[in-house]
Amino acid sequence: MRAAGKVILPFLFGALLLIIWEVAIRLNHIPQFILPAPSAIAISLWKDGPDLLRNLSVTVEVTLVALLLATITGVAIAVALAQWPLAERTFFPYAVFIQVTPIVTIAPFIIIWVENIFVVLLILAWMAAVFPIISNTLLGLKSASANLRELFRLYRASRWQTLRRLLIPTALPYFLGGLRISGGLALIGTVVAEMVAGTSGAQSGLASRLLEASYRLELPRAMACFVLLSATGLILYWALKVLSHRLLRHWHESARGIEN
Amino acid sequence: MSETAVALRSVAKNFPNGIEALRATDLSIAEGSFVSLVGPSGCGKSTLLRLIAGLLAPTTGTIERHDDRMGFVFQDPTLMPWATALENVALPLRLNGGTDDSSARHALQRLGLDGFAGAYPHQLSGGMQMRVSIARATVTSPRLLLMDEPFAALDEFTRFRLNDDLRALWQKHGWTVVFVTHSVQEAVFLSQRVIVMSPRPGGIVADMRIDLPQERRNDFRLSHTFIDQCACVSTSLHAATAAQDSAA
Repeated sequence: MRAAGKVILPFLFGALLLIIWEVAIRLNHIPQFILPAPSAIAISLWKDGPDLLRNLSVTVEVTLVALLLATITGVAIAVALAQWPLAERTFFPYAVFIQVTPIVTIAPFIIIWVENIFVVLLILAWMAAVFPIISNTLLGLKSASANLRELFRLYRASRWQTLRRLLIPTALPYFLGGLRISGGLALIGTVVAEMVAGTSGAQSGLASRLLEASYRLELPRAMACFVLLSATGLILYWALKVLSHRLLRHWHESARGIEN
Repeated sequence: MSETAVALRSVAKNFPNGIEALRATDLSIAEGSFVSLVGPSGCGKSTLLRLIAGLLAPTTGTIERHDDRMGFVFQDPTLMPWATALENVALPLRLNGGTDDSSARHALQRLGLDGFAGAYPHQLSGGMQMRVSIARATVTSPRLLLMDEPFAALDEFTRFRLNDDLRALWQKHGWTVVFVTHSVQEAVFLSQRVIVMSPRPGGIVADMRIDLPQERRNDFRLSHTFIDQCACVSTSLHAATAAQDSAA
């Protein structure tokens, strides 16, 4: 009953909102280029579906590759910073710099310097996504229990052994928390980058299509893009949550509660 | 007559924050003996243990260990939560480059944990976690076992069981055990020798031989000889603390 309520209640609420929306538009004769009815968006989704999905695949590809690169570089940077405190003091401010700089303000420069649009999008999405992975992983690497550290010292563990058997397992839940945030940021970064990069090219990503449709006042199509991008974000979040749960379920508090 | 397992000569420890944790101390511990360090918190007993382990370096003085093979048991079980009981026990072997788990399985068996090799720490009770911790400390067949208030957080029933088992294991394997506790009864029950320490600055104030039969069953805790010995240690502990208080 409670499990059913968890799914049914939000669903019913959403359906109710859509019905109110539809009825309000029809009763007040609001034109489509101001606010389209849900039915118009659904029709556009169906009609333009194949074209939009082709564009979505570009967006998803950039997002996933950027997330992968952010994971690899973020973890590598965090490990390096954790191993050498001097490196942390020297370089961490620059990681913060990447984080706090709105990527929209860097995008024009990257577009000038880099010719390949895919690489431009990748760089910008990476910049949006990398910081949570660096900072969370770094926090995790420093969170190993003091007694376990002493135990490793007592058995004369090498730096590598301590990293592999103590610091990395300790950091895993922190890293996964960062990854979940970065997943969303990678998508946001990709979308922002596509919008800044403009609408050139037939298949330059779904955000470009959204912008293009809105210029032409084709709001049902623009909103169909919006729906697809939101759905992508939700699926990405859910997938990372499942991954996190799979990796931690044997031992970590955060994953143990979910099973029962 | 017997070999010396650990010898401290004028060992003192000051921490960078100015606290004198241990004043110049001489101590010699015989091979195969069971020695307890008792005292109130802040008396330097954990510091002394960590100095013996080599986890801390003395400010002055020298520490000699006859054999470098040792095991250390912390106050918390200090297990890796992501690893099974067996993997936790096998850790010292792995760090030493070993891949064979048979001695880890054997160590678990010795501590009565046969069926729990695959269990994660959160699936085990506090007493069982401590057993895993002791199994890990003894998996490398150490000559010296250092224990820092290992049973302080356990209920009395579990603590008595672990006391009995620890004594039996010690008698069988002939380890040298240095055992830190704040419980006088626990110290007297387990040890051949009880060293009383007092705080500010930490140091040894009494060194007592426990003259009790080697065979100590559970009802032994109610016997007159046991209670008399406890009273004796308690008196010396209180005298030391009282002297401190009047000096302060």
